[in-house]
Amino acid sequence: MSQKISRRDFLKLATAGGATAAVLTGCGPASRYVTREPYVKMPEYTYNGLSTYYATTCRECAAGCGLIVRTMQGRAIKAEGNPANPVNLGKTCARGQATLQGLYNPDRVEAPVKQARQQALAAEAMNWDDATQLVADALNNTNPAEIAFLMGTASDHLFDLVTDLTNAIGAPAPVRFGALSMFESRATLSKAAEKSLGQAGLPYFDLGNADLVISFGANFLETWLSPVAYTRGFAKMRRGNSKKRGYMVHFESQMSQTAAKADEWIPLLPGTEGLVALALGRLVAEATGGSVARVFSTVDVREVSIQSGIPLEQLEHVASLIAEAQAPLAIPGGQALGQTNGLANAEAILALNALADNFGKPGGALLSPLAPNEDTYHRPANAREMKDFIAKLNSGSVKVLFVHGVNPIFELPKALGFADALAAVPTVISFATFPDETALASDYIFPDHHGLEAWGYQRSATGTMQSALSGAQPVVSPMYDTRSTADVLIEAARLAGGKLAEALPFTDEVAFIQSKIASLIGRTDGSFVAPEINSFTSYFQQHGGWWKTAAESAVLSAAGALNKNLNVNAAVFAGEGEFFFVPFVSPTLGEAGANKPWLQELPDPMTTVMWNTWVAINPETAHELNLENDDVVKVISEAGEVEAAVYLYPAIHPGVIAMPFGQGHTAYGRFAMARLLESRLVGLVPRAGEVGDPFPRGANPADVLGAYFNEAGDLAFAGMKVKIEKTGEKQYLSRLESRIGVYGEGLPQEGH
Amino acid sequence: MAVASKYLPGAKQAHDTHHEEEDHKQYLMFDPKPRGEMNAMVMESMHTTSWKFWVVFGILSVIVAVCFFYAWGYMIAEGLWVAGVMRPSYWGIFLVNTVFWIGISHAGTFISAILRVFKAEFRRPFTRAAELMTTFGLIQAGASIFMHMGRVWLSYWMFPLPNERQLWPNFHSPLMWDLLAITTYVLGSTMYLFLPLIPDLAMARDRSTGWRKTFYKILALGFRGTEGEWRHLITAMNFFAFAIIPVMFSVHTIVSWDFAMAMRPGWSSTVYGPYFVLGALHSGMGAVAVVLFIMRTTMKHMDYFIRKEHFDALGKLMLMVTFAYTYFFFNDYIVQWYGGDVATDNLLHWLEEGPMAWMFFQMVAFNIIIPPLLLWSKKIRQTPWLLALIGIMINVGMYWERYIIIPVTLSINRMPFTWKLFEPRMDVFLTIGTFSMFLLFYMLASRLIPLIPVWEVQEGQMAHSLRKVGKAHVPTLSDFE
Amino acid sequence: MTVDLNLVGAKGAIAEAAEGKWGMSIDQDICTGCQACVAACAMENNISFVGEEDAGYGRSQHWIRIERFWEGAYPEVKATPFQPMLCQQCGHAPCEPVCPVFATPHSEAEQLNLQVYNRCVGTRYCANNCPYQVRSFNWRDYHTIPERGNMVNGTLVFPLHNQFNPDVTVRRRGVMEKCTFCIQRIHKAQDKAKSEGREVEDGEFTTACAQACPANAITFGRVDHPESLVSQLTHQKRGEKHLEELNTLPRVTYLKEG
Repeated sequence: MSQKISRRDFLKLATAGGATAAVLTGCGPASRYVTREPYVKMPEYTYNGLSTYYATTCRECAAGCGLIVRTMQGRAIKAEGNPANPVNLGKTCARGQATLQGLYNPDRVEAPVKQARQQALAAEAMNWDDATQLVADALNNTNPAEIAFLMGTASDHLFDLVTDLTNAIGAPAPVRFGALSMFESRATLSKAAEKSLGQAGLPYFDLGNADLVISFGANFLETWLSPVAYTRGFAKMRRGNSKKRGYMVHFESQMSQTAAKADEWIPLLPGTEGLVALALGRLVAEATGGSVARVFSTVDVREVSIQSGIPLEQLEHVASLIAEAQAPLAIPGGQALGQTNGLANAEAILALNALADNFGKPGGALLSPLAPNEDTYHRPANAREMKDFIAKLNSGSVKVLFVHGVNPIFELPKALGFADALAAVPTVISFATFPDETALASDYIFPDHHGLEAWGYQRSATGTMQSALSGAQPVVSPMYDTRSTADVLIEAARLAGGKLAEALPFTDEVAFIQSKIASLIGRTDGSFVAPEINSFTSYFQQHGGWWKTAAESAVLSAAGALNKNLNVNAAVFAGEGEFFFVPFVSPTLGEAGANKPWLQELPDPMTTVMWNTWVAINPETAHELNLENDDVVKVISEAGEVEAAVYLYPAIHPGVIAMPFGQGHTAYGRFAMARLLESRLVGLVPRAGEVGDPFPRGANPADVLGAYFNEAGDLAFAGMKVKIEKTGEKQYLSRLESRIGVYGEGLPQEGH
Repeated sequence: MAVASKYLPGAKQAHDTHHEEEDHKQYLMFDPKPRGEMNAMVMESMHTTSWKFWVVFGILSVIVAVCFFYAWGYMIAEGLWVAGVMRPSYWGIFLVNTVFWIGISHAGTFISAILRVFKAEFRRPFTRAAELMTTFGLIQAGASIFMHMGRVWLSYWMFPLPNERQLWPNFHSPLMWDLLAITTYVLGSTMYLFLPLIPDLAMARDRSTGWRKTFYKILALGFRGTEGEWRHLITAMNFFAFAIIPVMFSVHTIVSWDFAMAMRPGWSSTVYGPYFVLGALHSGMGAVAVVLFIMRTTMKHMDYFIRKEHFDALGKLMLMVTFAYTYFFFNDYIVQWYGGDVATDNLLHWLEEGPMAWMFFQMVAFNIIIPPLLLWSKKIRQTPWLLALIGIMINVGMYWERYIIIPVTLSINRMPFTWKLFEPRMDVFLTIGTFSMFLLFYMLASRLIPLIPVWEVQEGQMAHSLRKVGKAHVPTLSDFE
Repeated sequence: MTVDLNLVGAKGAIAEAAEGKWGMSIDQDICTGCQACVAACAMENNISFVGEEDAGYGRSQHWIRIERFWEGAYPEVKATPFQPMLCQQCGHAPCEPVCPVFATPHSEAEQLNLQVYNRCVGTRYCANNCPYQVRSFNWRDYHTIPERGNMVNGTLVFPLHNQFNPDVTVRRRGVMEKCTFCIQRIHKAQDKAKSEGREVEDGEFTTACAQACPANAITFGRVDHPESLVSQLTHQKRGEKHLEELNTLPRVTYLKEG
């Protein structure tokens, strides 16, 4: 460890005014550690009431939005978007805003512990020297082939460090996973890009310059890929052109938040999105009088209309919209990809873009550029790869498993059996910041800093056409006795010596980051130019990263997407039930927001439910099943069952039920859990148990998902059929909206 | 003294002299007793306390301790979340109680002051009981206002106290008017209760020993019953009787302005002032009937003072008030309905078809439909327990009326996204607490002060006489002026 | 400055220019209902969360809430455009005259409805009289509910309190609160401009909700400056104010679809 310096020196280095960071001067690598001084020892040049602003990167999802965090007297008090960062241009989503509630969460892992797979967080703290030695021994004494790293989608610098480590010792490459990427079907998108656009990578849809958007289940205003960037694009599409208001059509079996913003929401049966896209393509080609491209030539429009449940006139109407539009854009996403035929769906939808000849053009389908120090697009593991990984764990060939930044017990479908597979691993070491399910099932928890206490960088995978690397720096000194995982690994490698020490020859994490960004020194096409590493690092911190000033866009050819035979098979649904089951990521909670109380208290945009999980059912269907609001139902699939309260949702296909993903934690702190209350004059019906007992808040729809995949290996999460059974219990969902005023509950129906 | 004599139409004509005597005996005024005996009867009614009294007293004390003091203290410490108030029903049962108790307190002053001014003779034996209702009701109303406040420990900020920051209360706020009106009413009605009490306190002083003597001695202010003292007392009483009437009308009008001045559908109604005054009288009359019935059945000698004629007269008064109330009720609702404002329409829909419709229609039945049907009959009017039952029914109806005006009406506003039905929580306990405290005060008072204004009854009995006109005995009343 | 407190908030005494000073425009056509503004507002203004039971019972403390209604029935059902509802900072505010203790005075300088927390005695009359129903009351001391803290060496420590914005009062139980148009930011910007001897420029600062809004649907600024962005947006044809018929002179303009 290098020398520690006090906060007052640190403050000298970082000053700012307004919402932009000011210039850092004289910043060397020595300034990387800060200690929090008590208020009484404030340096004399720290003015009470004046804030200091630090640029960093949001770690609530992998989008890599830049943040400017306002701090005052050593406390972070507000996170705002970094206006300079090309991904979010100064904006944040709700989860970014609430990142401080993670930092100051009362349920953090405050020190390294020997967890020993207990139910609750172990109380006895270890000291970091022992912990580091333990990691060193684990790395040193285990056959490299029997070491496994499982990591989340943020942060990239740690992934790079671990990749270097595993490469050097010949261990398997780290596996990255995240529930968001699972529900985004990133592998499918990447594969579809490879097949249609000609290059693998994450496609980027330039909403801002389109005038007609046809979205097939893509929930880009919620959590999809880079929601802040897509929301900005949406706003520009709608209102950016003063002459023409952008129009949007959304195909999805339930009205998601994104669908609610569409001018036309067209419900269809899940799994028919690709066919609908082909039918539209054919109708457009016919309407414009050109020849029908090969990809559309085999589709029978009338048959598609019957299969999808969309009236033929409606398809023709949408086709005429496309035909008349200047810059139509079709977007594949969400449940369109989470089907057994998801890849074919994606290709069919991209073919619509090819028909509009917008590949690589403004307002069209583009390919996200690689981040500045990225060689190739590293997509996170898809569900099938996770299944293989779990099989590997089960086979006993993994002796030590390191887990960082991901909570697979909660995030992966229960049917994949991750929790059981952990039992086959002799040593599980978790670097979790919060006591989540996976951390509790580990042998040791060596807690990493919260993202706002940590160094790092994140490559922006999509969301901007400027190649961008968002930098992270500590904005506060660590609240607790936590330690950066990168530092733990570097130190452990040094203790282990040999190849390990050679692989990570760094004094600390910052030196490692510098080694990774050193290649950008002297580049003149970026947001700043610096001649050597120390000033480059300073600018990197001050700007919150490095990005190219110009957008770059690969030249793509539409020919491949049109001149091929595309066979969109009927989607296969697993199970016997009468309902299609559509899980979606909660727009307010995301994958890991459940422990942040203000995210819990944010009403879901569509249902306005707070603090809990609901099952959205069409009111007509519910009426047939004799279900009312707040009736607890059991959702049963062949893979499992969950219980949740019914929400009569007026905008969902009668054959579909939908559930948000994000709740149902069995650990993860007090806000992610509910507690039995002593007495309830109104509100939730108490469950069985002792007063004060914690129980899961809401339910996790991943528990009913089976291990079914699409052609690209992504989970067919919308490919289940389920039954529902009334349990007879009631659980009153907390809604912000008025049931009387919005649904006329208790009032005569004709009055509204 | 007897300067003018007039024919009393209320009394029954009879030709049989023997029966005439008997018939007139049923009226208190024509059934005089010697002064000493009557005084002794009143004193005895105060002193006779059965074990049942103490059992009820004990139970009420416990309820007051738990439901009033403990519950309120708990609510102050915990915050108002223990009550049912929320968005959009920011006002809940506490203000229902306030309006209800102010309503109850109305009848006391009405009966005693208006009837005194208009020289209605049947008032004599129960003016005191009614005035006590005023004072005790106002105490509960005041307590309920303070319960309702979020930071009751700072309630003195509502008073115009001098302070160095020159912060002054906002006289534009109807709540300020309310505060001033209620304070005036409390002071005025307490004085008005106290003045007629002085001769009776002096009477009690002269017939008591021990601590009671000291107690009455202090309260009687040395009243000896001289001609000069009586003259002053009568002047003061007349003065207060006239002065308290406009105060009474203004208080409930101002209470109604808390609602009528607000920009809420259902509240913003110009007829609210008289509607509330009549509503208050309606519930107050009912309460008087209940109190008289309880006095008559539980206290010694009270069947002498409180007779069927009084229930009959009260019943007629109730009937009249019911009609007046009905007029304003329809005036309020029909004009609002006719206005056709969307928000008001929503509210009326909510009232007639929403989950609280049962309460609305019960209110209409209890306050408007049933009372005239029953009070029409003299037999029912003259049956004390029936009249008490009608009194309770009207009060339930009037409580519902206030409940509908405050939390139920507040459920509906101009922002349909926030509509929500109020659910009572700990406010129920506090309501029970205020009711118990009212009863407890009354029980205490029944042991400490003469509930019958003996001197007023005696004065009446002296003024009434049967005169022979031809063969008939005609009841007459002499005016003392 | 001398302010006659008895006149502030009185009917007639606040007959100010209809456009006011600070104003906001909200473009409902691009508002995606994402709740970023709600979260940002809570983070900036130390708003407490109330928990599941109270939130469901209409006691949530959101200073800004996003409303949506339904039109039609499946399959022609449509969600109405998301409608963020916050204090409209009425020029002629119904909440102001009814407070018995002047806890809701009108700021003559900023032409905003102020809420003086330490003067409030909690009669909740203002909230009743608010036609927009945007005031929230502190039903209890939500910030110090013991279950939200950790016991450290015998003392209850609330890590979440570290986040409190020192520019904004933390409200205790029994006090009304509402959107302030981030008056702490207004003052900060004005102080800064004053110390630099200039006027506050358009876009120099903005409210927390507007700053967070990913769609840029919220614009804040001087509505009395014709050249300001918000003023130009406000005077578009699709601009509309809520419950204007009540003569409340709201300062928030909603831009409709179309």
